[in-house]
Amino acid sequence: MDFATLAAQLNAGTILPEGIVITTLLVVLVGDLIVGRSSNRWTPYVAIAGLLGAIVALYYQWDLSDPISFLGSFNSDALSIVFRGIIALSAAVTVLMSIRYVEQSGTSLAEFIVILMTATVGGMFLAGADELVTIYVALETLSISSYLLTGYMKRDPRSNEAALKYLLIGAASSAIFLYGVSLLYGLSGGETRLSVITTNIAANNVDQSIGVVIALVFVIAGIAFKIAAVPFHQWTPDVYEGSPTPVVAFLSVGSKAAGFVLAVRLLVSAFPLVSEQWHFVLTALALLSMILGNVVALAQTSMKRLLAYSSIGQAGFVMIGLIIGTEAGYASMIFYLLVYLFMNLGGFACVILFSLRTGTDEISEYSGLYQKDPLLTLALSICLLSLGGIPPLAGFFGKLYLFWAGWQAGAYWLVLVGLMTSVVSIYYYIRVVKMMVVKEADEMSESVKNYPASDWNLEGMRPLQVSLIVTLVATSLAGILSNPLFALANGSVEKTPLLQSSLNTAQTALVDQSVATSSTPAPL
Amino acid sequence: MQLLMQLQYFLLLAAALFCIGIYGLVTSRNAIRVLMSIELLLNAVNLNLMAFSNFLDPAEVRGQVFTVFVITIAAAEAAVGLAIVLSIYRNRDTVDMEQFNLLKW
Amino acid sequence: MLSLLIWGPLFGTALIALLPAAVMTPARARQIALVVAAGVLLWTGYLVMQFDPNLPGLQFRESLSWVDSLGLTYQLGVDGLSLPLIVINSLLVLMALVATDLNLTRPRLYYSLVLILEAGVAGAFVAQNLLLFFLFYEVELIPLYLMIAIWGGAKRGYAATKFLIYTAISGVLMLAAFFGLSFLSGSHSFDYDGLQAQALPMATQLVLLITLVVAFGIKIPLVPFHTWLPDAHVEAPTPASVLLAGVLLKLGTYGLLKFGFGLFPEAWQLIAPGLAVVAVINVLYGSFVAIAQTDMKKIVAYSSVGHMGYVILASAAATPLALMGAIAQMISHGLISALLFLLVGVVYSKTGTRDVTVLRGLLAPECGMPLIGSLMIVGVMASAGIPGMVGFIAEFIVYRASFPVFPIQTILSMLGTGLTAVYFLNLVNRVFFGRMTESLAQLPRIAWRDRIPSIVMVVLVIFLGLQPDWLVHWSKSTTLALSEVNRTATALMLPDSEP
Repeated sequence: MDFATLAAQLNAGTILPEGIVITTLLVVLVGDLIVGRSSNRWTPYVAIAGLLGAIVALYYQWDLSDPISFLGSFNSDALSIVFRGIIALSAAVTVLMSIRYVEQSGTSLAEFIVILMTATVGGMFLAGADELVTIYVALETLSISSYLLTGYMKRDPRSNEAALKYLLIGAASSAIFLYGVSLLYGLSGGETRLSVITTNIAANNVDQSIGVVIALVFVIAGIAFKIAAVPFHQWTPDVYEGSPTPVVAFLSVGSKAAGFVLAVRLLVSAFPLVSEQWHFVLTALALLSMILGNVVALAQTSMKRLLAYSSIGQAGFVMIGLIIGTEAGYASMIFYLLVYLFMNLGGFACVILFSLRTGTDEISEYSGLYQKDPLLTLALSICLLSLGGIPPLAGFFGKLYLFWAGWQAGAYWLVLVGLMTSVVSIYYYIRVVKMMVVKEADEMSESVKNYPASDWNLEGMRPLQVSLIVTLVATSLAGILSNPLFALANGSVEKTPLLQSSLNTAQTALVDQSVATSSTPAPL
Repeated sequence: MQLLMQLQYFLLLAAALFCIGIYGLVTSRNAIRVLMSIELLLNAVNLNLMAFSNFLDPAEVRGQVFTVFVITIAAAEAAVGLAIVLSIYRNRDTVDMEQFNLLKW
Repeated sequence: MLSLLIWGPLFGTALIALLPAAVMTPARARQIALVVAAGVLLWTGYLVMQFDPNLPGLQFRESLSWVDSLGLTYQLGVDGLSLPLIVINSLLVLMALVATDLNLTRPRLYYSLVLILEAGVAGAFVAQNLLLFFLFYEVELIPLYLMIAIWGGAKRGYAATKFLIYTAISGVLMLAAFFGLSFLSGSHSFDYDGLQAQALPMATQLVLLITLVVAFGIKIPLVPFHTWLPDAHVEAPTPASVLLAGVLLKLGTYGLLKFGFGLFPEAWQLIAPGLAVVAVINVLYGSFVAIAQTDMKKIVAYSSVGHMGYVILASAAATPLALMGAIAQMISHGLISALLFLLVGVVYSKTGTRDVTVLRGLLAPECGMPLIGSLMIVGVMASAGIPGMVGFIAEFIVYRASFPVFPIQTILSMLGTGLTAVYFLNLVNRVFFGRMTESLAQLPRIAWRDRIPSIVMVVLVIFLGLQPDWLVHWSKSTTLALSEVNRTATALMLPDSEP
C-alpha cells in the first residue's frame, strides 16, 4: 500500500491546513537553527504567510463532501472550519503583535513563534477532533505550548509564577477531564469515537445513570477551565497579568475558541442523554461568569487583569449561545466569537503598544493619553466600547444577536442577567476611556508625561501598527457590514450535520424546560 | 459476574488513587509534590482505561492505546513542569507555593 | 433624503476627526462643524417644505435591508410627530455650535462629538425599526457622556457617570421590552409597521408597556428616575445643556408616544390615569423644588422636569387635540429651555457664578448685560405661559385637551404654571433687577456670538406664539390618525362609554 492510497483511505486532505501550519513551523524552526539570530527578519512573516495559507486552505474545504477522516478521528465539518479559521487568524494577529514585544524583551523570536504555532496546531486539531484520544492529544498540545508561552520571559519572576500556576492548575484540570473521558470510554463499552459513544451508552442501558453524570461533571470541569468560566476561572487573572501580553491575547481568543468548539462537540455529540443536566450546569456557569466576571472587573487596577475579568464575563455571554442550542444560538455564538476575535485582539494590541512605550499596564497610568497619542486612544476606546456593546461597533451586533437568539429560545433569565451585566461592563470599560480621554494635561500620569514620540520605524513596530489598524477597522466596520459574517456563522451551523441533528432534540428539551419554568419560579 | 466484580475492584482502586491525588494537590505546598499528585491523577486514569480496555474492549484495545498516549503526554507535561519549576527556582530560590505571591491569587 | 440627516453630520465628524492636525486647526474645525450643521438645517427646511401635512402616514420613506438575522432593517420615515422634533434638533445643534466658546480645549474632539450627537438623535427620530431606534438611542450615549465629563463643571465625573448609568439602564430595559414585543407577537423583524401588539394578552401588554414607560421615563425624566438630570444639567457645558434639555429629553417623550402609545393603545388606556398622576407629580415636584434652588441652572433644570410633565399629561389624555398639545409642548419646551440655558450660560461665563443670591442688577444699561437680561425676561415669560408666546399656546392646548379627560390632574398641573411664574420671577427679580453689586461692575463685553442664538430663539418663541398654526399644522393628520387607533381600542374595551 503506497502513500497515496493510504492518504486517500484516511481522507488525509482534510488536514491540509494543519499540514501547512506544521510545515511552516518546521521551516521557521530549521531556518532559525541554520541562519541564527538574523532569521528574525523573515521568520515572523513566513509564519504569518503559513497561517494565512492555512486559512485559504480552509476556505477551499468549505464544501467538502466527506469531512470525516482518519477513520473517524477527525471531522472537518463546517463548524470545525470556522473555529480553525478563528484560531489560525488569532495566531496570525498574535505573531504580528509579538514581534516587537519579544525583540524588546531580548528572547528568541523564532522559538516563540514555533511554540505559538504548535499551540495553534493543537487548537486547530481540537476544533475538528471527533475521537477521545485525538481530543486529548490536541488539547494537551495546545495546553503544554500555552504553559511554555506563559513562562516565556524566563528572567521575569512574574512570568515564571504565572506559568507555574497555569501549569499546575491546567494539568490538574486536564487530568480531571481525562478521568471523565475514561469513564465515558468505559460506559460506552470501549468506544472512543464521539458519534458512537452515545448510541453505545443508550444500547448498554446505562443512560441517566450516575456514571454518565459523573463523567459529565468531570468533563465540564475540564472544558470550563479552558474557557475560563466561573468557578474554574481562578487562574485567569494571574496568568493574564504575569504572561507576556501577546500570549495573553492568544489565550483569550484562540485558546478560548478552541475550548468552545470542544464544548460544542463533546457536549452535543457525547452527552445528549443527559442534556438536561449539562444545560443546567452550563446555565449556572454562564450566570456566575457573567455576574462575577463583570462585577469583579470593576475593582481592577491593572489593565491586563481588567481584560482577564472582562474575558470571563464575555465567556459567560458566549455560553448563552451554546446553552440555548438553537440554530440561531450556535450561529450567534460563532458570530460573537468572530467579532470578539477582532475587538479583543485590538484591545491587546493597544495594551502591548502602551506597555512597550511606557513599561506599565496600570490603568491609572493611562490617564491623559489622549493628549500624547490620539491614535492609540482612539483604537483602545473603540475596542473597549465594542466589548461593552456600544453601537454601532461590532460588539453591539454580537451581543444583540446573542441576546435575541437567547430570548427567542426562551432563556429569559440568562438574557436579562446578560443585559444587566453588560451595563456593568460598560461602566468599567468607560472608566478606562475616561482615564485616557477626559483627564486634563495637569492630571497626566508620569508615564504619559514621559511618553516617547511615535517610533513606528523601529524594528517590529510596523507589524504592530498593521495589527492595530486591521483590528480597529474590523471592530468598527464588522458590525455595520456584518452580513458576510452572519452568513458565515449561519452557514457553518447549517452545514454541520452534528448541530443539525442536535437541533431537534435540543428544541424539545427547551420546550420541556420552558414548561418547567412556567410552572415553577426557578430560573432556567 | 466474576469478571465484572473484578472490574469494579480496578475502578475502585483507580478512584482511590484519584482521591489521593486530589488530596495531595490541595494540601501540598511544594511545587514538586503538586506535580507528583498530578501524576497520581493521571495514573488513576490510566488504570481506569486499562481496566475498561481489558474487560470491555479486548478486541481493539483502544484503552491501552489511549494509555500509551496519556503516559507520553504526562511525560511531556512533567518535563515542561519541571523546567518551569527549575527556572522559578533560579529566580526565587524556592519551590514553596506559598511564596509565589507576586500575582494576587 | 432622510439619510442625509444622519450621514451628513457623520461625514463632518469624519472630516474633523481624521484630517491631520496641520490642516484641521481649531478655527477650521469650528467652521466645518458650523457649515455642516447649517447645511443640515437647510436640508431640514427643505424637507419641511416638501412635507405634506395632510397625509397621516410616514413620508420620505427609505427602506433597505440590513442585518436579516436580527430583523434589523434600515427603515426611515417621518410623520407629523417626528418632523417638528427633527427641526428642533437641527436648529438647536446649530445654535449650540454658534454659542460654543471659541477658546475651548480639544476643539476637534468637541465638534466631532456634537455632530455624532446630532446624527444619533436625528437617526432615532426617523428610525422606523425598533432595533434601529435602539441603536441610535445608544449612539448618543457616549458623546454626551464625554461632553459632560470633559467640558463640564467641578463635579463632572460624578454627573457624567450618573448620566451614563441611568441611560444605559434605560436602554437595556427598552431592549428587553422590544425583544419581548417582537418575540411574543411572532414577528420576525423589528419593523415598526409589522408589529401587532394588540393580539397579545392584556397582562403581557401591560408588562411590556410598563417596562417601556420606565425605560423612557428615565430619559424624560419621570419623577422617581429624574435624579440624574439636575446633576447632568448643572455640570454640563452650556451647549450640552441646551442639547440635553432641548432635544435629548424629547427622545423619551417621543419614544413613549411612538412605541408606548403607538404600539399598545389598549394597555395605554389602562395606565393612562396612573400616568396622569405621575405627570402631576412631575409638574408639582419640579416646580416646588425649583423654587428652593439658588443655582440658576438647577432652577431651569427642575423647571424642565416640571414642563415635561405637561407632555406626559397630554400623552395620557391621548385625544387628537391632546396629542397635538403634547407635540406643541415638546417644541415649546425645546425652544424655551434651550433659550434659558443659553442665557444662563452667558451669565455664568461673564460673571463666574450662577448663584441667584450673589447676582444683582445685571440689567443695568451701562455696565450690565441689558440685552441678555431682556431676552431672559422674554424667556421666563414664555416659560410661565404668558399669552403671545409659544409657551402659552402649548400649555393652553394641553390644558384644554386634558381637562375633559383628567379634570383634577389638569387643575393641579395648572398650579404648576403659576409656580413657574413664582420661581422665574424670583430669579429675574434677584439677578437682573435691583442695584448691581460692586464686584460685578466690570463685566467683559458680550460677543454677538453669544447673543445671536438667544435672539433667534426669542424670535421663534414670539413668532410661534403669534402664529400658532405654524406650530401645530404639521402634526394634525398624524395625531388624528394616532388617536384614531386609540379610539377604536377604547371602543373595544368600553363599548358603552363614549370616548
